[in-house]
Amino acid sequence: MTSDHAPAFVAKRTGLVRFISTYGQEVVIAGAIIALFVLVSLVSPRFLSANNLNTIISGNAYIAVAAIGMSMIIITGHIDVSVGALIGVLATISGTLATAGYPVWIAWTLPILIGVGINAIVGALVAYGRIPSIVVTLGMLSILRGGLVSITGGAWINDLPPDFHLAQQRLLDIPVPIWFMVVLTLGAFMWMRHTAFGRSLFAIGGNIEAARAAGIPVERRVVQVFMIHGAFAGLATVLFATQLRVIQSTVPPNLELTIITAAVIGGVSILGGTGTVIGSTLAAILFSAIGSAMIFINVSPYWLRAVIGVLILITVLVDIARRVREQRSAKR
Amino acid sequence: MSALLQLSRVSKSFAGIRVLKDVDFDVRPGEVHALMGENGAGKSTLIKIISGVHTPDEGGIIRIGDTQHKALSSRAAARAGIATVYQELLLFPELSVAENVFLGHAPRTRLGTLDWSLMRRQARQLLDSLDSHDLDVDAKVGTLSVANRQRVEIAKALSQNARVLIMDEPTAALADADVRRLMIVVKRLRERGVGIVYVSHKLPEVFEIADRVTVLRDGALIGTHPIAEVTEQSLVAMMVGRDIAQLFPKPVPNIGDVILRVKGLCFGDRVRDISFDLRRGEILGIAGLVGSGRTEMALTIFGITPATAGSIELDGRVISISSPRQARDLGIAYVPEDRGLQGLVRPMSIAQNVSMASLHRVTNGLFMRFAEEIRLAVDAIARLGIRARGPEQVVGQLSGGNQQKVVLGKWLATNPRILIMDEPTRGIDVGAKSEIHALMGKLAQEGMAIVMISSELPEVLGMADRVLVMNGGTSVATIGRAEASPETVGAAMTLATRSLEVAQ
Amino acid sequence: MTWHKLLRHETILALLTVLALVVLASQSDKFFTLDNMLNQGRLMTEVGLIAVIMTFVIITGGIDLSVGSILGLVAVLLGVFWKNMGLPLPMAIGLGLMVGTLAGLINGLIITRFRVPPLIATLGTLALYRGIAEGISEARSVRGYPDWFFVLGQGQFLGVPVQLWILGVVTLVAAIILGTTVWGRGVYAVGHNETAARFSGLQADRIKLAIYAASGFAAALAAVIFVSRVSTTRSDMGTGIELDAITAVVLGGTSIFGGRGSIIGTILGLVLIQALKNGLSLAGIKSDGTIVLIGAVLILTILLSNLFHRNGNR
Repeated sequence: MTSDHAPAFVAKRTGLVRFISTYGQEVVIAGAIIALFVLVSLVSPRFLSANNLNTIISGNAYIAVAAIGMSMIIITGHIDVSVGALIGVLATISGTLATAGYPVWIAWTLPILIGVGINAIVGALVAYGRIPSIVVTLGMLSILRGGLVSITGGAWINDLPPDFHLAQQRLLDIPVPIWFMVVLTLGAFMWMRHTAFGRSLFAIGGNIEAARAAGIPVERRVVQVFMIHGAFAGLATVLFATQLRVIQSTVPPNLELTIITAAVIGGVSILGGTGTVIGSTLAAILFSAIGSAMIFINVSPYWLRAVIGVLILITVLVDIARRVREQRSAKR
Repeated sequence: MSALLQLSRVSKSFAGIRVLKDVDFDVRPGEVHALMGENGAGKSTLIKIISGVHTPDEGGIIRIGDTQHKALSSRAAARAGIATVYQELLLFPELSVAENVFLGHAPRTRLGTLDWSLMRRQARQLLDSLDSHDLDVDAKVGTLSVANRQRVEIAKALSQNARVLIMDEPTAALADADVRRLMIVVKRLRERGVGIVYVSHKLPEVFEIADRVTVLRDGALIGTHPIAEVTEQSLVAMMVGRDIAQLFPKPVPNIGDVILRVKGLCFGDRVRDISFDLRRGEILGIAGLVGSGRTEMALTIFGITPATAGSIELDGRVISISSPRQARDLGIAYVPEDRGLQGLVRPMSIAQNVSMASLHRVTNGLFMRFAEEIRLAVDAIARLGIRARGPEQVVGQLSGGNQQKVVLGKWLATNPRILIMDEPTRGIDVGAKSEIHALMGKLAQEGMAIVMISSELPEVLGMADRVLVMNGGTSVATIGRAEASPETVGAAMTLATRSLEVAQ
Repeated sequence: MTWHKLLRHETILALLTVLALVVLASQSDKFFTLDNMLNQGRLMTEVGLIAVIMTFVIITGGIDLSVGSILGLVAVLLGVFWKNMGLPLPMAIGLGLMVGTLAGLINGLIITRFRVPPLIATLGTLALYRGIAEGISEARSVRGYPDWFFVLGQGQFLGVPVQLWILGVVTLVAAIILGTTVWGRGVYAVGHNETAARFSGLQADRIKLAIYAASGFAAALAAVIFVSRVSTTRSDMGTGIELDAITAVVLGGTSIFGGRGSIIGTILGLVLIQALKNGLSLAGIKSDGTIVLIGAVLILTILLSNLFHRNGNR
């Protein structure tokens, strides 16, 4: 039984075929966004207005940014269900600093540092305490949620100084959130593709024993990736907090779910070891587009979450089907 | 010629048990040094000491080139050019071949980022030097066959300038054609001056490729000899410590009529149209190289991968088996190849494992009868000679041989009429091996029909009443006990390949 | 078996609970009254029902994040069946329970038939079921249920709240099934080593389907009780309850990797959490402080548990 005649699709492939098979998910989402725009604008041309496009893309920019960090966590084989609460807490801290008279740049950057610090603890518990990340982040979720109410006492933050609202400003006539999103996404993508550190995340998620054997300091990396994720949560907070007039004292509901979903639909496999941050950013834009589209074509937006649920399931089923197919042909 | 690596009086103990006792071992450049021994002889401990995974006990010395060490860290071993290709390949399925080869020590650009084009070029060169021109450096490792993945592992070792390459049972999972190619690769490495430690129990390969052979038994060094000075018999005698014939006490068979008739059985492309009969009281040995489809055939009969074509007749009645539960109810039992994963629930007790396939025997309708379960286990312990503290002991703490007996006990408790045993004595010390063989002989004499899949030719020749040789998912020869010998069975295994190749 | 290890975690937890109860009782004389205890029992029931069944799910190495959404969906459907479709309330309740079970069964199918990891499968259905609930109800709430219905959530039987009886029965049945029946043995086996269980003739898929369906049923039952207790129906009911349930289960000694766990542990975990919530609140500490404490207790317990079981379970 000769087994070296590798299956046809493994032998020499053309550049295009390889591109599609590696970035298939991203291509699909981009295609879905374009299709959506085309279809809805046929029904309702105002959908494509600059104003609406801005709302769509800028509105969910903070989710895209948070999803970058989350993608890294999932690629490494872990998960974080506390990120929504973290953003809520950091937003409150940000708002509090701003209304207390501190310069706005402190109100913007201190939460990032705090996000890093909190997630350093989470990372340490996961890596060195050997506690599964679902459990640690469940516990952290409780701590942050309760902590948030404690700090605020339930009060909302109203009188934010006008220069606080970074997300509503523009740079070179492009809204700040779009800058954040594009720069961070591309930067993260390049970093994960071209640095040893970035590749080590794929290694850890792909085969932790092999990663160890290859000399990767697995525990240290896990802590580091959680810290990076905390930084991205902090950056997302900057966008999130500064686009509102009022900062609420409650955790934005289901935020972590949306972020995880963006990552998963964006092609980051929940099984670890694969995925890109470009996909998750596109997915965040897709959600926004779907939500907006539903309003425009008069479908009750209450169905949005159901649509997202179906999308998750389909994405995962396709991912699993692909892996099964690969395994089977590999056994040749 | 000075040795690349030299171990002197190296010992290792785990939890008070001496696993290696004063072993000397050396590797010369440009040689293939085979390391042989039964399971539990200490081979894997030895290679782990060489690669720095384990630290030896006091008193041992490891010399690499000119420097002496008491112990090696894995980093020091890597720096010294020692690399290992393990049986369980340590690869990343979602990453490309090039990335797998260089992960952890990838070439960098001046900016500090990864130099992908250099990586791909160097990976290409390494693969070419291993005669693997058709292996695409950008292919995802998860899509590769086992043989190709192994080549990636070897390339990985070479990428770190390995001067000593340890190969642990490299052909265990390879089909025949890949074994041939691997032999070529190993010879090339030898020409380049790499010292290769070749751990294997496949005698033909060792004779083909090794320059020297070292035999370990029960942790001690039995001897190191140039290959020209040993024969198969002398090697086996060194490994086993006693005469082969003694190992297989086969009582006079009591063979009855046909109980199972398999006709044209198929499953996908792994089991291709196989047919055979099985009689009461007979032991049918299934021989064949790895990849010949023996386990797949057993799994099809047992219902894990139900047949896609063909028929199975039990007592003359055609039956269809679509689940292990069904197989069990029909009186078919399967002692699996991988006892840790498929045969036992290691955190559970002996009693809980023994009852697992016969839960209806220890229940009162829905409720468990724990006393009954214990009794069942006590019976099994006595009948099979399981050495344990008691039926409550956690199975994971038992030795390999005793674990295998628990699996056997589990299936015997179902009162099967057909017992399929897949590599029944793999990873078991010699003492337990002969106990299990004795048990098999007794069961057969009592009328049980046994199918014994084994890669150990001596075992097949010693125990089987008939030998069925498989290749490419089907049977290629059936040889009676009288005619069965290493030559006839070995020839049958290779004969099939040739005819397959001709057919293509 | 691992009775030894099991007992160790439960004993620690039991001691901790007793300690907590003693300390809390000393902080407020309203804590340790029969009235208060029973009332807490009442409040604990919805999470309790879900947590008891979640124990089975986690022992098999799975997880069910969609229970909160199933609860919300059934709550909404209860309103739809009764008010919008005019069905008699008992029938509406029956249908609601069936829908919940069906939702759980769908989870089970996705997990067994399509081999989707439970975490992501139930993450998807969490969104899907909640989305359906929101879509149907459009955030309107339903009120005006007949009085007899409120007995379930607000009434008493022999001095004990009705739902506490229900929780008690479910707990008892679950404990018996898990500890003494063939089914329970199957659950542990699948959790420790599903492959070996299959190879031994156990029907792993059937076991998993049953427990996920049961999980859906528990969520549905909790929904009915919840609606009865608060006299209204809303689509956001049950949000976050999965986390409370999982916390109780894991706190109770069930390993997230599967194979280890007990109903007693889960109940102890529940009691401890509820006691903390209530006791601290009576002692003047705000409820958010307790939530923080619970999160910290969860992490600490697992950390300590890891330290004790160096060799782990796999």
